[in-house]
Amino acid sequence: MLGFILQRLWQAAIVVLAMSALVFCGVYAVGNPIDVLISPDATQDIRAAVIAQYGLDLPLWQQYFGFLGRVFEGDFGRSFVYNMPVSELILSRLPATLELTLAAVLFASLVGIPIGMYAGYRPNSPVSRTIMALSILGFSVPTFWFGLMLIMLFAVQCGCMPAGGRGDTVSLFGVDFSFLTADGLSHMILPALNLALFKFSLMIRLARAGTRELMLSDTVKFARAAGISEFTILSRHVLRLISIPLVTVFGLELGSTLAFAVVTETIFSWPGLGKLIIDSITSLDRPVMVAYLMLVAMLFIVINLVVDLTYALLDPRLRKGRA
Amino acid sequence: MTEETTAPLLEVSNLRTWFPSARGEIKAVDSVSFSLAPGEVLGLVGESGSGKSITGFSIIGLIDEPGRIVEGSIKLEGRELIGLQPHELRKIRGKTISMVFQDPMMTLNPVLSIGTQIRLALEAHENISAAEARERAIKALAQVRITDPERKVDFFPHQFSGGMRQRVAIAIALLHRPKLIICDEPTTALDVSIQAEILAEMKELVAELGTALIWISHDLATVASIADRVAVMRFGKIVEIGPALGVLTRPQHDYTKALLDALPSRAKPGELLLRGSGIADATPPSRKTATSDLPPLGSPYLVIDTAVKRFEKQAGLFKNLAIRTGIAQPQAVVQAVDGVSITLKRGEVLGLVGESGSGKSTLGRMAAGITVPTSGTIRLAGKPVMSAGRSPRKVTTRVQTIFQDPFASLNSRMRVGDIVAEGPLAHKLVSRAEAPEYVAQWLSAVGLDPSFANRFPHQFSGGQRQRIAIARALAMQPDVIVCDEPVASLDVSIQAQIINLLIRLRSELNLSLIFISHDLSVVRHLCDRVAIMYRGRIVEEGGAAAIYDNPQHDYTKRLLAAVPVLPTAA
Repeated sequence: MLGFILQRLWQAAIVVLAMSALVFCGVYAVGNPIDVLISPDATQDIRAAVIAQYGLDLPLWQQYFGFLGRVFEGDFGRSFVYNMPVSELILSRLPATLELTLAAVLFASLVGIPIGMYAGYRPNSPVSRTIMALSILGFSVPTFWFGLMLIMLFAVQCGCMPAGGRGDTVSLFGVDFSFLTADGLSHMILPALNLALFKFSLMIRLARAGTRELMLSDTVKFARAAGISEFTILSRHVLRLISIPLVTVFGLELGSTLAFAVVTETIFSWPGLGKLIIDSITSLDRPVMVAYLMLVAMLFIVINLVVDLTYALLDPRLRKGRA
Repeated sequence: MTEETTAPLLEVSNLRTWFPSARGEIKAVDSVSFSLAPGEVLGLVGESGSGKSITGFSIIGLIDEPGRIVEGSIKLEGRELIGLQPHELRKIRGKTISMVFQDPMMTLNPVLSIGTQIRLALEAHENISAAEARERAIKALAQVRITDPERKVDFFPHQFSGGMRQRVAIAIALLHRPKLIICDEPTTALDVSIQAEILAEMKELVAELGTALIWISHDLATVASIADRVAVMRFGKIVEIGPALGVLTRPQHDYTKALLDALPSRAKPGELLLRGSGIADATPPSRKTATSDLPPLGSPYLVIDTAVKRFEKQAGLFKNLAIRTGIAQPQAVVQAVDGVSITLKRGEVLGLVGESGSGKSTLGRMAAGITVPTSGTIRLAGKPVMSAGRSPRKVTTRVQTIFQDPFASLNSRMRVGDIVAEGPLAHKLVSRAEAPEYVAQWLSAVGLDPSFANRFPHQFSGGQRQRIAIARALAMQPDVIVCDEPVASLDVSIQAQIINLLIRLRSELNLSLIFISHDLSVVRHLCDRVAIMYRGRIVEEGGAAAIYDNPQHDYTKRLLAAVPVLPTAA
């Protein structure tokens, strides 16, 4: 097991390295940040001085290896726009995104899976048919539209929910969290709901498909023949068996939500990573973009590693070293 | 055990279980009546689709939607089961009636430990603490002869062999000392020797606990060895019921007679078996490939010389490097075939017999040029079957294969005509213009209507599909056919048809066959010579009669002793 983890970490290092090179070259091609950094009427001398200060006059490979060298010392560079260390900037935004996406993905799973299992258990009931029809809607409605509708309905028309921002936060271990205050929580509900919609539908459909198939299996028949109650069959047998594909999707969705919660964060003015990356792209804030995309690659790797370890936990057939 | 002296445990009368379908109701069980005394063993026999399993599921109240019990009565100790509420039925299931299924691989939950699964079954009917449940689980495992139950209770199903898994399933069925156990083909998925053990243990347990048994099976011989009474089912009806010995030795109904006559063990070796439904006697088309260079009949033809097949586990990049540089050893090697030499004479039928994992299929695949041997040579009339080099290919069309599962071996997206014509076209045995005529000839040679060429495989039954597979193999105009369990998944009457077909084709076309099977009676009927495989080696080889009548090797003796035998009329 240790060997497996080491192997995965080694793979992760290679992926992150490749990612950094790709991103560095890609961002280099996007545009020259100098045009954004200094006013157009600055003198040629100032311009040259600034270019030299950021090392933008060096050839690309020198810039890249310089960057890599600094990364190994823990320095991801300074944001051109905010003029503060990128690592600090990203860390200040990460908790906001983290709590939002976790809330969304957990909601989608904890509510979506039981609903999906019910729909799979009674595939022909009107309730199940309604659930499945709504889940298709959840797939097809664009996020931004759903977000706007939420704001219109709950914030504008009924006024019971705030339309944007994070609300009050509480500092815990030096990090600000919204979900610990009533005001923060009320700020979180709409964006989390908006973010959860797609995943929610996905979980419902996956759980339903798995349950429906398993209900016809010999495993369930044998459990029924032993007189085991339907609830126990669903909660002990079926849930365990469908959990492997669910965990896979959970991991993938968690990763992609963390990385690309952009639309929701923009609509609800949620000060998270998504907003940061959009801002830095428009202002060609190169160090932020590079560091952010490397972080995303890292996140995906870590999540996938955790997913793989969870497989072994869930499915004894994948565990090694037993007779 | 006579019905008059004791009140019946179970009384089924006029049971009808129907399944609605697009073409009207399917009467899976149609007016079935029988009764069962406490402790009695009733064998329920029939071919697939006869309604024997549905009868079992009706009794335990597990008919899947949209099927339903239309009418009838099922009385357990005088209590009517039909019309009970689901929660009342649940109290009976597992406690008074329990069930064992065919494939223990499918019935046990692969992600829960055996102990957990037993605990869940215990908790269904008792309030029991975790520690108590564990105690009971260990006892239950010990009862079905699982050694070292204290350790095995924490095992997962995949850590057990098929026979062990079935024992676990039986242990679960026995947990609450039920009065009736319904066994649905419980030994069908197991090897003969395991089957013999399970049969013997089951008989003993049932006698000891006084449990009644409904033993559902397509295999008359296993039923004969366990049942007190036998009911023969066909098209949802019981056609004959009576004491086991009587029904199986002096059958009254024509269908029972036909079933018995279809068994190869009842016929003289090599003889055509009684035909189920009509099988056409069309003559196959004449060969287009040269036969002049073939060795005469009876001389060595396909020669396998010290063939070895090892399966190595795939290793990762670093592991591979370590293995190549000699730092690490390649791991988890399975020696499927361990140095086998055997010769197939031209025109001969050679039987390869062994239990699962014995390497017989791997040997067959090597002979057919499908699997590359790790070492050793396989030559057909002196020429290698496969080319040499890094990626060896089969270089002859003279060896063809028929596989076990005709559902998996035919491409479901291709029309039957295209399936049969594909090989001959690729090897230019026939031109595209002649192909339809050529296919039609082969289809009629295997007893299929030539117009079937336009249909898809899913429109055919298992037996018809196997004939398509045979036509496909024959259309390549081979001299040798490797048949890998070709009748294992078929009902007895269909099995008889396929065996007849093989017997006929063999003599008409001078074919040599390698016939791989775990079914000893089929092998005896069809084969001239038999090789017994055990753990990748051939332990005994010789004429069929000699091996069956006078086995030399211990393994052969054990194997033959494990085969259930039908009683014969005195």
